[in-house]
Amino acid sequence: MKCKTLHKDLIFFLEKELPEKEMELVKTHLAECSNCALFAEEMKKTLGILEAERSPAVNPFFYTRLKAKIENREPEIKQVFWKPELVRVLQPVLFSVLLILGIYTGIKIGQPTPAQMISVNAADQEIISFLNEMDSEPIEGFLME
Amino acid sequence: MSETEIIRKLQQGNEQAFKELVENYQKLVVNTCFGMVHNIEDAEDIAQEVFIEVFRSIHKFRADSKLSTWLYRMSVNRSLNFIRDNKRSKWFQSFEDSVQSKNAVHENLINKNTDHPGFELENSQRAKLLHEAIDSLPQNQKVAFTLSKYEELSYQEISGVMELSVSSVESLIHRAKKNLQKKLYVCYKKRCI
Ligand SMILES: [Zn+2]
Repeated sequence: MKCKTLHKDLIFFLEKELPEKEMELVKTHLAECSNCALFAEEMKKTLGILEAERSPAVNPFFYTRLKAKIENREPEIKQVFWKPELVRVLQPVLFSVLLILGIYTGIKIGQPTPAQMISVNAADQEIISFLNEMDSEPIEGFLME
Repeated sequence: MSETEIIRKLQQGNEQAFKELVENYQKLVVNTCFGMVHNIEDAEDIAQEVFIEVFRSIHKFRADSKLSTWLYRMSVNRSLNFIRDNKRSKWFQSFEDSVQSKNAVHENLINKNTDHPGFELENSQRAKLLHEAIDSLPQNQKVAFTLSKYEELSYQEISGVMELSVSSVESLIHRAKKNLQKKLYVCYKKRCI
């Protein structure tokens, strides 16, 4: 195997993706050629960085920061998102209050107050007494005059 | 809470469901963004935008697709937007800023090896070289390679995220590795580390 051929496939050798036969050929060349072996070692170290970087530390303040960002910067989102909890509690309460108020006024309107009844009866009696007065005046009296 | 339950409650506007979703997927989203931008602070900022988008558009989420596929796709797209916008504003970046961001890139690695200063420096140079090599790849090669290497996704899963055939993904990753090898060889010849 030539050095140039090896350079073309080295990364696949390091990733163990070459067919078995070619893996062996590269291995043999690396054992004999110090220049290629050095490059292979360098590349292995550099690609190894990927593994070290794979899991960055989890920031414990991530959610707090995110929530603060939403509350400061996106009032319209906050309104849609954080309010439903409150709305879900307050809505039935408001409806119940409205319902009770409605029923109460309904009862109030349908049931006339005693004071009103008295005044209506008084008016009736006035008319009746007026009619009675007419009765008491004898019709003959008119004719006689 | 199961995934379906989280989504259902989230669609009803339940805050606890949102908190649980963030806790369950924070690592996935931050890690994917980190693989794309190589800076933990930027990755976390982008990840926050991803989660804001999640509850903005949770009603659009269809139950027949996987939540993780959706999150990977949003993480990749948001990172690509970030890189594009960052390239534009790079002209105005001060020297101090660029030094700070470079330090932040390797903070993670350095923290892991605080007792070997020589190893630290070598590793930080190596990380810089690798990131530059990955960033110089064509966009689709970079996305496929990052999902495969940072998140260890299968070709099948990557094809779902990128909406490409499995054979296209296989070919993208193959070409990405060839290109990386070429760049690393040029660097080795120049003794850039
Ligand atoms: Zn050789």
